[in-house]
Amino acid sequence: MDQRMVDFVRALRASGVRVSLAESEDSFRASSFLGVSNRDHFRSALRLTLVKEEKDIGTFERLFPLFFGTGAPPTLDAMAEMGEEDAQKLLDALAQLAEDLSPEELKRLLENLLRGKPLSEGDLENLGRQTGLPMASRPGEAPWMESRMERSLGLQKLMDALMELLEELGMAGMSEELLDQLARTAGMNREALEEQIRNEVGKAIARRMREEYEKQDPIDDVMDLPFRGLDEREAERLREEVRRLASRLRSRAALRHRRARKGRIDMRGTMRANLRFGGVPLVLKRRRRVIKPKLIVICDVSTSVRHCAEFMLTLIYELQDQVARARSYAFIDRLVDISLWFDEHSPQKAVAMVLDDLRSGHYNTDLGASLAMLCRDHLGEIDSRTTVIFLGDGRNNFNDPRLDCLEDIKARCRKVVWMNPEAPYLWGSGDSDMPAYQPYCDTLHEVGNLAQLAKAVDTLFDYR
Amino acid sequence: MYQTTEEVRTSLAGQDYIASAEICTALFLAEGLKKPILVEGPAGVGKTELGKVWAASTGRNLIRLQCYEGLDESKALYEWEYSKQMLYTQILRDKVQQMLTEAGTLTEAADRIASEEDAFFSERFLLARPLLQAIRAKEPTLLLIDEIDRSDAEFEAFLLEVLSDFQISIPELGTIRADSPPAVILTSNNTRELSEALKRRCLYIFIDYPSADAELEVVRIKVPGLSDELAKETVEFVQKLRGMDLKKRPSVSETIDWAKALLMLNAEKLDEDTLNATLSVILKHEQDIMRSRRNLETERRRSLDGPQRDSEILEELESDLRRRSRRRKRGRGGTGDPFPGFESYED
Repeated sequence: MDQRMVDFVRALRASGVRVSLAESEDSFRASSFLGVSNRDHFRSALRLTLVKEEKDIGTFERLFPLFFGTGAPPTLDAMAEMGEEDAQKLLDALAQLAEDLSPEELKRLLENLLRGKPLSEGDLENLGRQTGLPMASRPGEAPWMESRMERSLGLQKLMDALMELLEELGMAGMSEELLDQLARTAGMNREALEEQIRNEVGKAIARRMREEYEKQDPIDDVMDLPFRGLDEREAERLREEVRRLASRLRSRAALRHRRARKGRIDMRGTMRANLRFGGVPLVLKRRRRVIKPKLIVICDVSTSVRHCAEFMLTLIYELQDQVARARSYAFIDRLVDISLWFDEHSPQKAVAMVLDDLRSGHYNTDLGASLAMLCRDHLGEIDSRTTVIFLGDGRNNFNDPRLDCLEDIKARCRKVVWMNPEAPYLWGSGDSDMPAYQPYCDTLHEVGNLAQLAKAVDTLFDYR
Repeated sequence: MYQTTEEVRTSLAGQDYIASAEICTALFLAEGLKKPILVEGPAGVGKTELGKVWAASTGRNLIRLQCYEGLDESKALYEWEYSKQMLYTQILRDKVQQMLTEAGTLTEAADRIASEEDAFFSERFLLARPLLQAIRAKEPTLLLIDEIDRSDAEFEAFLLEVLSDFQISIPELGTIRADSPPAVILTSNNTRELSEALKRRCLYIFIDYPSADAELEVVRIKVPGLSDELAKETVEFVQKLRGMDLKKRPSVSETIDWAKALLMLNAEKLDEDTLNATLSVILKHEQDIMRSRRNLETERRRSLDGPQRDSEILEELESDLRRRSRRRKRGRGGTGDPFPGFESYED
């Protein structure tokens, strides 16, 4: 059991759930406290101690049955409750039928089915090898593997044979009631067999998953991985890193905020506050000169900058509590207000939904038109405290760059920050309008990897 | 102290709280292993309520710490009561004077004051805030830390320290240790990611919107006067609303409010008038109300007119599609229209 649990934890880790040593230890304590006799309690105990995020609950529920079975009934022996005469009839019928049944195994299986004998380890292993089970390494492959194994076992043929058998027994004069019972038992035993197969498949997949996880070479230096050309695994790793990065940036920003709050002493306020202490200055009042930044984020979500937009939006919204107000818009060929998504969902989920909703077409980016829309509809939201952040490569498909709009924005806001995922030497090449936009930007960051992005986002919270 | 998870369920049910099997197991484990519980989930599914009924069902005193942005140690832990100290010095001025006049030298006077320092930095002047209260409590206590996600990251780190060994050191007084550590429950609306260190220390429950059956049971218990028929309709309707794409989906607490409102209005069934009058109880955004009305209207029409309406709906869809494709073409051309796709912007 212990080994099973250790394997389970490893499989969870392999599917991207972060489980620390302390947590796996807790799961052992919890399960030994509750006992393992009740399956539901056991499942709850593991879930409460191992899964600490909503998004991981699904993974847990998918993997659990692979490791600890689905709790099907144990096998039953149909002959145990029969009278001697009926049992003899059954054996006779079996023997007769066996002559017609071609492969030897099928005959044995039929007996298994009736006598409630589970498949042996060797049988299972053979079956697995025939169907290529050792190659399966994803939980999603399980149902397919199961049906393959069942087919290879000849379960359907077996049921046909069983019907034949029952018919013969009926003709041999076995009572209706007994036949019914026999059929029921066989049915239950069939379920048990299927369960056994499911377990075997689950175990095999889990084993493979663990092996693969251990084989995987670590991605080094995630911070320096270029956003361009990420594969899915690397993107997943980066997403994880972004979350950790966010909490680091947050505490930095909070600390800075707090230090900045210790500004100059406000004499008037201090005197007023200390009147109740007879004028002895016990409580100091300071002038609050720090204002949290208001952000307006305008994100290009076309194919070329997708990953970068995703990470940057996640970061900004994870830092939400350090920002007075953040609104965000995404554009490809036109501007869409995406703030609503973020009001309602966690940053990760919202970003995923936004990217899912705004599918990029083929060369249809139009930054100019999007800028015009921003000016027409949302200029009122920009005031002297607002920092406007553009994220994009400035590639405009040779459309009108609408510099006049950017100029309007620039005139109203505190700062225009541009983050460009391309390397500086590419700015201006092809359809890139970056050099044209550049004079209107107060700061310009290259954000080709996570380290650069983190630095760029961090400077947003610099209050000086 | 519970003996089985079943006992947890019945004792919570005694407090009118319908708990899932997982919640019961969590409470049982929390009691047995002395671990805090972290509850997450959408607003209004009974996270805070769980803390309250846990305290009530085990006879613990409930101490609640509501978190907010800017909450710091002095608000959560303890504060010296300056004004009281001040008042005492004023009242005791004569006594102090007398002590000082007796002193021969300046040093002696200072020493005398120093030796009396304890009088002013004693527990008498200590204003205990929720965390200190929970640690000092003599009776069994439950500490409910509400909406931890609203507090700052720094405070979270500080809390971690307190929760890990239940002791607090106050420089002037020394270390105060809990005789019996309080049970702790934390709630979070998941507005920000909590630190992994905190999560690691807790048992984690995610409470989602309940199933129709569970919600019906809740409504029956909380609003006993409501007829079965209407309760069922109410719950079905709310469940349907949750399936829609709304800004703020109605939670259990809103279902209960609505059920109470219907009871007060003596409604007999959910007809259109009642619905129009009370929809604002469950939906809190004008846009949501409009959208749900529109959805319900189409659904009603479809169900009323049956199959012969289908052709019309199909037609509508088709013309909509045609309109869209036309718009897209225009958008791609892009030269004539400065705001391609403008008409659809409202959607």
